[in-house]
Amino acid sequence: MPVPDLFCAMMKEEWRMHSTIFGSLGFALFPAVIAVFALLGSLTLPLFADVFPYDVVALFAHALFLLMGVMVGSFGLMGREFMNRRFGQASLIAYASRSLPVSERRIFGAFLVKDTVYYILLYVLPFAAGFAAATPFIGLDPGLAVLAFVSLALAFLLGLSAVCFLSTLYARSAALLAGTVAVLAVIALAAFRLGTITVSAALPPYAFFLDPAVEPLAISLLLILVPAAASVLFVTVDYPDRTKRFNNRLDPLAERVSTLGSAHFIAKDALDLLRSEGGAGKVIFSFLLPLGLVWVCLRVLIRFIPGIDPLVVFAVLLGVISATIYNWLTEFDSFTSYAFLPVEVSEVIDAKLKSYALANLLPLGVLVLAAATSGGMGTFLPALAAFASVSAYTLAVTVYLTGLHPNVMLYSAGVFLRYLLAISPALLLLIFASILDPGYAALSLFLILPAALLLARGRTRWQAWEMPGY
Amino acid sequence: MIEATELTKNYGNVTAVNRVSFSVAEGELFGLLGPNGSGKTTMIRMLTGQIPPTSGSARVMGLDVAKDPIGVRGLVGIIPEQETPPSFLTAEEYLRFVASIRNLDSVDERCDRWFDLLEFGDKRDVLCKDLSRGTRQKLMFAQAFLHEPELALIDEPLINLDPIMQRTVKDFLREYVQGGGTVFFSTHILEIAEEICDRIGVIHNGRILHCGPVGDLVGSGRHLESFFLDLVKGDAGA
Repeated sequence: MPVPDLFCAMMKEEWRMHSTIFGSLGFALFPAVIAVFALLGSLTLPLFADVFPYDVVALFAHALFLLMGVMVGSFGLMGREFMNRRFGQASLIAYASRSLPVSERRIFGAFLVKDTVYYILLYVLPFAAGFAAATPFIGLDPGLAVLAFVSLALAFLLGLSAVCFLSTLYARSAALLAGTVAVLAVIALAAFRLGTITVSAALPPYAFFLDPAVEPLAISLLLILVPAAASVLFVTVDYPDRTKRFNNRLDPLAERVSTLGSAHFIAKDALDLLRSEGGAGKVIFSFLLPLGLVWVCLRVLIRFIPGIDPLVVFAVLLGVISATIYNWLTEFDSFTSYAFLPVEVSEVIDAKLKSYALANLLPLGVLVLAAATSGGMGTFLPALAAFASVSAYTLAVTVYLTGLHPNVMLYSAGVFLRYLLAISPALLLLIFASILDPGYAALSLFLILPAALLLARGRTRWQAWEMPGY
Repeated sequence: MIEATELTKNYGNVTAVNRVSFSVAEGELFGLLGPNGSGKTTMIRMLTGQIPPTSGSARVMGLDVAKDPIGVRGLVGIIPEQETPPSFLTAEEYLRFVASIRNLDSVDERCDRWFDLLEFGDKRDVLCKDLSRGTRQKLMFAQAFLHEPELALIDEPLINLDPIMQRTVKDFLREYVQGGGTVFFSTHILEIAEEICDRIGVIHNGRILHCGPVGDLVGSGRHLESFFLDLVKGDAGA
């Protein structure tokens, strides 16, 4: 089967998968929501130009799309069995190498192209379109939007191809991955320490946006195409013919958390995370890596905005990113697995919340580490309050809007719009308040009340959704 | 043990189950027979409180299913169609997980009994996702009977099992019923029903076409297969 045919079939499959769940209109409107938000955000740029110069906003936008590429790549392509999980459950065509004479390499190549086109259409194009629509009103050249589309697409693809390459390395050897990451980290750290590399040089798509010359474009393309080609060339699929055996760890784990209640559910969540493909690696890719990126961006930002407290802003963003842990906790579960047992939907959700609370020890550790290493212990308490409150609030919004299906439901235009509307104002308010005075971050504790209300209503709502009529 | 009265389930414009009434007595092995898409799975899901009926009612072990679905699922054992156990637990961990949900004691003994009976003790430490379909079916069978329920509702009980294991399961179901248990199962494999059922119901297009003892058919010299085909083809032509 030729790659173009595979690609077309995968595009249709992806569309039908989402449109079946949300309705064609609901899914088709998702890019429109992105465009509207980009338009509104762009219109506010002149208001904050003194605080956030345009080149800083552009840096953030490129970092955001780089991050998005990392997250898209890491979510779908993690670990030894990434194809088995992603393709076995979500994409029948991509699983076809087992039943049809199509090689994994060809399928993976088509899959990569499909993800590229799909997410550029879904995220980058509408973002650039929203920005383009705003340019006449904010005194910018509309041609800048075309440049932004290209450079943001490059930033997204840079993240995607890097993660694909790293996941292919991991599929070959965990030690190879660890070694590669360590070497890259050392080189990057040394380059920054020695001052031999600038931010724009470290992010070539951003450099291309600032100066649309051949050199940054060529470097960007090189950094995208070489890892992507290598990941396709060396892709390997670990079919489940290698039987894995484990001693009973469910009871010992449940014993450790027995005081929390729902102990066996919590233990199951932990085992799902630890034993699923990638293990702790997927946390590194989809959680710690973006956090590292955010931290680096914030360190850069303080050069432009002296009043900003990087730890507090980091804590706010850490709270939002932490909520993605809930996506992992629900990734391997479905209520249909419990529908024939004496289990209520609310019981499963409650157990997920407890698992989430325990898993939040990881971001808490990251926050402590960030505070300790950056000398920011002076604002640690407001930062801690901001992290805990934002994490709880973002989780509550996610649970209320998506129940046990955040990985699917957030692609519905309506759901995503409500998600953004519920979270963005609170975040912006907190960040601006913390710029005025880092201590104001403690105001975030007021988010706990709506979080509790949303969680209570979410339980009732999803009980009715999963078990309609009861 | 089961009392269904005018049970009806509509999915949009499609009527999957149409005003079905029947009862199953204690100690009975009842087989619901029907071709694919006839309404068997929908019936089991309504009787176990997994989906509510559009109209009509059902009482299972004295409980109104619509009012207390969790209570019903707590009492009975259920083997759903095609449901697979969680991927990243081992077979033993899954049984222990179910035991914790059902608040069971003597979990070691209960697990060992089923690993021995269904002969898959060598797979107890294997992740569910790595089990063969047949072993997964054994595991689903074990979880349904782990709490020694008085009533079991099973959707296609012998699917994916090899002939030796089919014999074991059939013998177990007969012994279970002789010991006072009750079984309601659905199947489209007529030989199973003919061999082990006390009574059968034939469902087609959501309606019960026949309900009666298997012995009556044998007594009248008819073979279940010809009886079933005549009924279903007659209904389709009507």
